[in-house]
Amino acid sequence: MEPVLRAISDARRREIIRLVRRRELSAGEIAARFDVSRPAISQHITILREAGLLTERRDGNRRLYRARPEALAGVRSFVEEFWIDHLDRLKEAAEQEATEQEETDARQ
Amino acid sequence: MPASEAHTTFTRELRIDAPRETVFSYFTDPAKMARWMGIEHRLDPVPGGAFRVDMNGRNVAAGHFVEVVPPARVVFTWGWEASEEMPPGSSTVEVRLTGEGDKTILHFVHRDLSPVQAQRHGEGWDHFLSRLGVAAAGGDPGPDPYREPSP
Repeated sequence: MEPVLRAISDARRREIIRLVRRRELSAGEIAARFDVSRPAISQHITILREAGLLTERRDGNRRLYRARPEALAGVRSFVEEFWIDHLDRLKEAAEQEATEQEETDARQ
Repeated sequence: MPASEAHTTFTRELRIDAPRETVFSYFTDPAKMARWMGIEHRLDPVPGGAFRVDMNGRNVAAGHFVEVVPPARVVFTWGWEASEEMPPGSSTVEVRLTGEGDKTILHFVHRDLSPVQAQRHGEGWDHFLSRLGVAAAGGDPGPDPYREPSP
């Protein structure tokens, strides 16, 4: 999961995902929307592709990219893990405290 | 719940075998909060008081307390320092504690996860990406206590 989080931690890469979420675009078409160099965009695309967030399709000598929403769907549960994990820890800590308190009360 | 709200709200209900007073203190007492979230805390649990939790030395959640009604209800705003997508105070966490005796039901709601972008784009995908950005901040790999496997 970490490569995915790394991939989407960059605002430009998130913008690339937005661009190709409903249509295929070539690397050149994507790069044309940004004022950074084409190699820089290619590198972003590679990171996104390696994280499984973009698919690549060859059409003649063009490479077309499109977002893979199902990959993001897998991350969605990870997003909620922040609270799920933390709240589970809270439950554990509070219950432990309650148990210790009961034991103290029982001894008195 | 409308679809747009589903995208910008996280809710959870949890049954805890501890009195409400005990559970409540885990949201207001820094030493207790350290047992479930973050490594450094500045908590001033009065309306308008500071809520700041350093998760791991890099990612800091910040906002302020809105309502503090022991042992029933605590509301605070939330966001990430240095985050454009979800700046400090940009979303709201509402915790409601019900139950009796030594049992508590914790009702947890984190809402307005990306209201600005929700209005601007009106599309679930954008809320979703924003939330991912937040997760990337909060879920940064490293010596993060919550990432450690449970014993």
